[in-house]
Amino acid sequence: MRFEDVQIGTAIGPEEIFISKDQTRMYARSSGLDAPRFTDDEGAKKEGLPGMILPGNMSLSLLTKLVTDWIGNNDARMIRLGTTYRVPVQPDHTLTLQGFITNTYPDTRQCEIDIWIENEEAERLVTGTATVEFSK
Amino acid sequence: MVDFDPELINRIFETTEPVPVTREKIAKFCAAIGETNPLFTDDEAAKKGPYGGVIAPPSYATTFRNGRHFFQHVPRYGRAGMDAGKDVEIIAPIRPGDTISLSSAVKEIYDKTGRSGTMVFVVVRSTLRNQKNEIVAHIDHRFMNRP
Amino acid sequence: MATVLDLHAHSEASEDSRAPVEAYLNWIKMRRAQVPVDGVVLTEHRQWNGNADYRALEDKFGVRVLKAAEVETDYGHVLVFGVTDEMAQRFDFTNIHIPAQELIDEVARMGGIAVPCHPGRPNIGLYEHYVKKPVLENVIAVELLNGGSRKGENERAAELIAKHGYRATGGSDSHLVSLIGLCATRFEADIKDIEALVRELKTGNYEAVDFRPKRKPVPHAIPAEAS
Repeated sequence: MRFEDVQIGTAIGPEEIFISKDQTRMYARSSGLDAPRFTDDEGAKKEGLPGMILPGNMSLSLLTKLVTDWIGNNDARMIRLGTTYRVPVQPDHTLTLQGFITNTYPDTRQCEIDIWIENEEAERLVTGTATVEFSK
Repeated sequence: MVDFDPELINRIFETTEPVPVTREKIAKFCAAIGETNPLFTDDEAAKKGPYGGVIAPPSYATTFRNGRHFFQHVPRYGRAGMDAGKDVEIIAPIRPGDTISLSSAVKEIYDKTGRSGTMVFVVVRSTLRNQKNEIVAHIDHRFMNRP
Repeated sequence: MATVLDLHAHSEASEDSRAPVEAYLNWIKMRRAQVPVDGVVLTEHRQWNGNADYRALEDKFGVRVLKAAEVETDYGHVLVFGVTDEMAQRFDFTNIHIPAQELIDEVARMGGIAVPCHPGRPNIGLYEHYVKKPVLENVIAVELLNGGSRKGENERAAELIAKHGYRATGGSDSHLVSLIGLCATRFEADIKDIEALVRELKTGNYEAVDFRPKRKPVPHAIPAEAS
């Protein structure tokens, strides 16, 4: 895939993933995040949350992976990613990761991608955009 | 409007002690997000790739944080801040053997209302540098406080 | 000739949006079948830029661009159509506690119309405020369909509309390019400018329309054992 092959409107995903509580704890440990909201349901409820939640950084990482998987072995790299955490993401749920190519910039050989995470009810929990730059 | 000292904006309060990046830490991070891309996980394959060796996934940059000392300078507005989102600009790859330090400043403070009520947002901009003092990333962290 | 407008969209001028106006218009032009809107109304958060000029982009893409504002009041968020310099001086759009009744009445007096948006949303929607506070007077229309609503929110808006006889609008509340136009408002009249929009919102014939794609159900995960 070269920059010239990238089309506005192309979908990335959707990709369905299941994030368990154990995987959430693994992420929290690997990132040095020790707040109870990321490791323990009761601890999270004491903070007014419905239960354990994914760290925001974990959602960002999952969306980053969606984009880098799309890049694959091609001569391109992600140069920017931005996320907004609209609704807490809970583990033990099926999440859908999705994206769309929304713009291409021939001068800089960059493309813009909308990305988001949905729950089973098709509600967008995390939204964002990414910029990918292709080599010349 | 939110009450704060305008002198606070863009003032760098600290640069963190360098944190080492190891092959093992990158591997654990990749396992936690189900990452299998050889660029980030396979030493032999990554040697033949564009970076000449394994690099950390781009989102690894968000694992570096400011110390508690920094947040002593940041105004509090009610209950402690939750992560409301980030903007990450990747300048250069992070590699095993690097040490990364952060310099951070408050970039912006504003209020708004949403589903959870009135919120005050504090945006902190961090610049990550490696041991060669090369910038590897800029990150804007948005922290949401509930007054 | 009917006009379909997305009455609620945020460009990158809103701090939580990542969508350039040009990208919105290009997306609409390229995806007419999925997003059959004739134009968008930019309703930026807590601000008004009277100088922003999108005529060149309108000509380039053949999509109408009108400007409005989304402000925050003591009864939730409100879209203000027909903003004038006088209005922007009368009200501090950055104030997140504007008195709603005053806003509705003064905006009307100054020739505009204030439309409460996402009324079914917790904390910032009319529905919840009406439980605790007097019903606002002189509300003509509220937003029935909001593209960013969670489960139950648009339904609560419908309930409010049925109870109070409000007219109903639709808008995407888009903060991303690919979400523009998913909800919109279809007007019987041809609307070329903001004056026509205000007139039609007050007295014209219109309905909220839903262009969101139907989604196949996603199986709910079986929770892991308690840990």
